[in-house]
Amino acid sequence: MAIKNILISGSSRGLGKELAEYFLEKGCAVYGCSRSERQIEHDNYHHFQLDIASQEQVSDFFFTLRKKIKYLDAVINNAGIASMNAFALTPVETYQKIFAVNVQGTFMMCQKALGLLKRADNPCIINMTTVAVPLQLEGESVYAASKSAVETLTKIIAKEYGGFGITCNAIGPSPIETNLIQGVPKEKIAKLIEKQSVKKMATPADVINLVDFFLRPESRMITGQIIYLGGISK
Amino acid sequence: MKKKEIQNIIFNAIEMTNNMREDHRQIPLTETTELYGNNGHLDSMGLVAFLIDIEECLLDEELEITLSDEKAMSQSKSPFRNVQTLISYIDSCIKDLHHGN
Repeated sequence: MAIKNILISGSSRGLGKELAEYFLEKGCAVYGCSRSERQIEHDNYHHFQLDIASQEQVSDFFFTLRKKIKYLDAVINNAGIASMNAFALTPVETYQKIFAVNVQGTFMMCQKALGLLKRADNPCIINMTTVAVPLQLEGESVYAASKSAVETLTKIIAKEYGGFGITCNAIGPSPIETNLIQGVPKEKIAKLIEKQSVKKMATPADVINLVDFFLRPESRMITGQIIYLGGISK
Repeated sequence: MKKKEIQNIIFNAIEMTNNMREDHRQIPLTETTELYGNNGHLDSMGLVAFLIDIEECLLDEELEITLSDEKAMSQSKSPFRNVQTLISYIDSCIKDLHHGN
């Protein structure tokens, strides 16, 4: 069986790093990217330093990637940024920055990867969303709005490219101990967990389990789905 | 890249498309084959898949060209009408690339 090529954005820390290490452990080749330097040393790990919000950098990245590999089994759009603020106080610069990374970054990564994905046997795209969308969390208007856009992109990509055999799904993790929620007050996290059916903090392993499920060839009929952890639904 | 090589890339992409199609929907490998529009063999999503295959083959030759961009879409006569018009369009894109446009 040919080695699986997995592309993971935001692979230098948190969930992205854990995902990269998991797939390396499984014998996959991982092509990771982040704004920061490589944090993983492994023969099958290939790191690219770039800002996914930059059209030029994403384009150059795929041009270089294309010289290394002829197909991609999965693209995991894990990179994302968040910012908490009351809607009325949110500077437009914050809005632009969040949408540039979360929406435009995901958009470009998906678009540029289509050709390489099309050449794989069971290609899939996995985007990351948030429970802030279904819970409509106060203080997260821009972040949640950007992830709503990612959810819509996910569903439409799934429809348009199902004919190519490409599945496209999104995962909405409930709170996990990562840098993304470092700035969120503890009480707010506790309140959020109270709203879940499973009243526990999630772990990276919970997300990895779902990613693994989407990547299985047996999951080829599962596409256009948004799955939230912790029993949260829309 | 010579026009004959571009034609070969297009024919390869047609063959890839044909592999996914039933016998009665095969696309002929000729210069006059209608691709998109009136009497074309491809619908809009079929065209997207076809163009992605061509872009990938061009990338194999280290030519990074986006075929389905605004330039192509805004032309009054679609460059994707038939094999011949597509050869000319790809040829012009390659020339633009070499001239840094």
